[in-house]
Amino acid sequence: MVARIPTKGLRDFDWLLALLAIGIVCFGTVQIRHAQPTEAYWVKQLIGLGIAVVAMLLVAFSDYRKLINIAPAFYVFGLLLLVIVLIPGIGLKINGQRAWIRVPGIGQFQPSEFVKVTTAMMLARYFGRRRDGALSLKEIAVGGLILALPIALILLEPDVGSVLTYLPILFTVLFLSGIKVRYVVAAVVLGVVLLPFAYWVGVKTGFVKNYQQERINVILDPENADRRGFGYNTWQSILTVGEGGLLGAHRTSGHSQSSLKFLPEPHTDFIFSVLAGNAGFIGCILVLLAYALLLSRLIAGAKRAPDRMGMLVIMAIVGGMTCQIFINIGMALGLLPVIGVPLPLMSSGLASLIATFIAIGFAMSVQLRRFVN
Amino acid sequence: MKFEDSSQNLRMRLWFVQSAVVLMLALLGVRLYYLQLVRGQHYAEIAQNQRIRLLPIVAPRGVIFDRDGHPLVDSRPIYNVILSREDLRGQNLGSLVKPFAEALAVDFDILRERFEQIGSQPAFESVLVKQDATPGDIAWVEAHELEFPELRVEQQPQRRYPPDGLLAHVLGYVGEVGAEQLKQQVYKDKNLKPGDVIGQSGLEQFYDDYLRGRDGYRKVIVDSRGRIQDEIETVQPQPGHDLVTTIDLDLQLAAEQQLRDSATKRGVIVVVNPNDGELLAVASAPTFDPNLFSQRIGTKEGRAEYMALLNDPDKPLINRAIQSRYPPGSTWKIPMAIAGLEQGAITLQHSNLVCGSGIQIGNKFTRCMGSHGSPDVGTAIVHSCDGYFYRLGLKMKLEGINAMTEEFDLNKRTGIDLPNEVTSRTPVEFKAILDRRQQEWKDIDTVFASFGQVYEEMTPLSMLRTVSGIGIGGKLYIPHLLKEVRPVGAAGEAEYRAGRGFQSTDPARPNPKVVPIPGDIHRAVVDGMWGVVNKGGTGKGIRMVGFDIAGKTGTAQVVGLGKDIGKNKDHSWFVSYAPAYKPEIALIALIENSGFGGHHAAPAVRRVYDVYYRKTRKEEPPGALPVAKSTGDRRPKTGVSSDSASVVRVATN
Repeated sequence: MVARIPTKGLRDFDWLLALLAIGIVCFGTVQIRHAQPTEAYWVKQLIGLGIAVVAMLLVAFSDYRKLINIAPAFYVFGLLLLVIVLIPGIGLKINGQRAWIRVPGIGQFQPSEFVKVTTAMMLARYFGRRRDGALSLKEIAVGGLILALPIALILLEPDVGSVLTYLPILFTVLFLSGIKVRYVVAAVVLGVVLLPFAYWVGVKTGFVKNYQQERINVILDPENADRRGFGYNTWQSILTVGEGGLLGAHRTSGHSQSSLKFLPEPHTDFIFSVLAGNAGFIGCILVLLAYALLLSRLIAGAKRAPDRMGMLVIMAIVGGMTCQIFINIGMALGLLPVIGVPLPLMSSGLASLIATFIAIGFAMSVQLRRFVN
Repeated sequence: MKFEDSSQNLRMRLWFVQSAVVLMLALLGVRLYYLQLVRGQHYAEIAQNQRIRLLPIVAPRGVIFDRDGHPLVDSRPIYNVILSREDLRGQNLGSLVKPFAEALAVDFDILRERFEQIGSQPAFESVLVKQDATPGDIAWVEAHELEFPELRVEQQPQRRYPPDGLLAHVLGYVGEVGAEQLKQQVYKDKNLKPGDVIGQSGLEQFYDDYLRGRDGYRKVIVDSRGRIQDEIETVQPQPGHDLVTTIDLDLQLAAEQQLRDSATKRGVIVVVNPNDGELLAVASAPTFDPNLFSQRIGTKEGRAEYMALLNDPDKPLINRAIQSRYPPGSTWKIPMAIAGLEQGAITLQHSNLVCGSGIQIGNKFTRCMGSHGSPDVGTAIVHSCDGYFYRLGLKMKLEGINAMTEEFDLNKRTGIDLPNEVTSRTPVEFKAILDRRQQEWKDIDTVFASFGQVYEEMTPLSMLRTVSGIGIGGKLYIPHLLKEVRPVGAAGEAEYRAGRGFQSTDPARPNPKVVPIPGDIHRAVVDGMWGVVNKGGTGKGIRMVGFDIAGKTGTAQVVGLGKDIGKNKDHSWFVSYAPAYKPEIALIALIENSGFGGHHAAPAVRRVYDVYYRKTRKEEPPGALPVAKSTGDRRPKTGVSSDSASVVRVATN
């Protein structure tokens, strides 16, 4: 499937995109090392980067159309991984979630990250074939079903955070496949109205548990919430970020929120807080700009895609990634309740890293073939 | 776009998605601006504070010595199990009571109470779980470090007092500063925090500011579980001043022995140098063990012990020398005699008054214990003639008696350097009570007031101060226990803090208060007091040839005549000094409810004089009284060598 690398391909290869992605990972690795100086996470991250770059190049120089054409095979394979992870003995249980498969030598691997890509491919394949006109309800239903299968399996782990990052993939694909605007408006209005109402009902009926309420409270008013209990993570993250100031906290003692273990999960969920504490506002803005540039680059690529399938696969990736970035950083900044999702390209984690690079590889492959037809 | 479809507005939709992406990232940027630039300073401070901890280093408390350099109180290191609340992080304190109580053998209820108490108080550093932990306890804490990381072991000096309650009322005791105390301004000014150990009674309380020193601290960086990661700075504690008291341990031991051997085992013996007010012995019985407060008060047994002390009808916690008032009985006749002569109620030439075996006032006859004819003032003192003093009182009138109490400071505190001294009660106060009841002060009341019954209640110390002051010719020194606050460090050193001697807390008060007594009047009264012991008077049984004791017995009625048996027997007084015409030591004894002064208090006084005589004259006192029972050497063994000022010795066991 891998095409011979044409000299023209090297010229058309999106070097900026690749360098941006690798750059963010490298910067993230520095932060991982900061967060867990005594652990080997940062080394694993660099090894992961090597694997990921190779995977990206393989995908980039493949013909994405051929890959997407056999998307059902990947899709089924992905579902199989999600089933396997549920089997005790193979699936690793961490913090009550059976979401990891142990891989000898490297550590653990989270299939739900990887399945995002296969699901995006499957959606691109299904919606890429249609030509024009508004989406029919049946098409929407099929799209929903494609997403529902992996989501259902992930909920069995259970990993609600991951599920939240799956939804934007479908939404983006539906939106760009011509779903009627009134459906979109209706969904947005319903969401805005129903969400607070549902929360209110949930609190009244006791469906929303106390600790879940506390996690909401700490966002609304971190100073007065239960800072030692369920609001602890958010509060410590806010402190870490705030301490960063303009240029980062420069401590003479060399002790930080993460090295003193006030900040939980500093190398994964709260890697952005570590970054904010070390690099300050300037560093954070630079990283946000890097993400913005990377996503813009992907969207630009989608616009130039030779076919709908290519456009959709890129935009599905953009949609998923953007929401995941927003959820993760929003959580670190105390805007959103604590949901365990990694920050793409920065959080320590093999699956997330490889999956993101494969996704970028897809975007590259689409771009490399934009003049082929 | 090659596949563009106008009906789908794809370009528009892509633009829309792109805008959403930019918007979401921008929103994060705005939030970062708020957290890092607007509120950054605030959060940085909180973050700093949560990782920095001040661990106090308790200053070694000063040692208290007797006048010869024997250590009376010192400290030894013990180990406490401490719970750091910072590390609990939402964990319920209540759930920890049971495992701690069981593993460390602490009383469940006390621990629960302590945990509940601190729950309501903010910003506590740590809680004491167990004091004086055994090696087994320490091993348990270390073994359960992962399970209970909030526990740690701290070394703390613990105060050690002499055994058998020796000097308990003088030394006092230390204890943790109470929640109520912390609300008072006096304690706020001392910059105390909960858990600090301060003097709560006696010298420990009075000279607490000197003894306590200043705690140091370690400023450390801790991780989220409270484990120390780094040390920023250490400020060493400043040790407290050592105290040298005026107490003579030999006399103190003798005095306490006399009280223990007394009929009721309740009473007071005070020894003072009348020439400067230095107290050589202050014994009050029954006594208590101050170690209860410094060592055992946190245990269930300790609390029970404390409750027992509080409820004891004999009131062992009271320092009877300064906190109990007794009718002075015939000891009152000494200032009466001086004042009567000074005021001209009688003269040296014509000091004879009729005894009459008593006096008839209206329809009431108040009797004298004997029939003394018409004695002069000296004879009246020798034989303690009540009839004489009834008539002297009537001549002096209430005003004369009041002028006397004023002149001899009998209506004031003595000013001793111990807390909670009470003021004696004089006829002025009792008359005020009668006035409030609209009752008239009658002649019979003046009669009662003139022989130390009903209308006078004196602390033994104030009685001793007055009589010993008369003994040296009219100089009333403030009795005190402090010989020297020793300086800390050497002069010139940065850590040097100067010492000091005794100073009255009231700088306006003259020390001594000079009462000008004409020499011939003084002589006449002293002659009488000399005769009490040396001329067949009421105290003749304790005569000491070559060391003339001048004294006065007193037998203070507790209840009316005829009922004075058993528990309600009279209080037995003896106040004295010696040698009679060149006093170097003054001594008062009061044995509660034991009966006649000459039979109980006087022999006790004599036995203390014997010890003094042996010590100062280096020979056996003439006609020494046998000591009732010997209990061997009761000297405190506090474990600090007498020449050492170091306080804390690390225990080797």
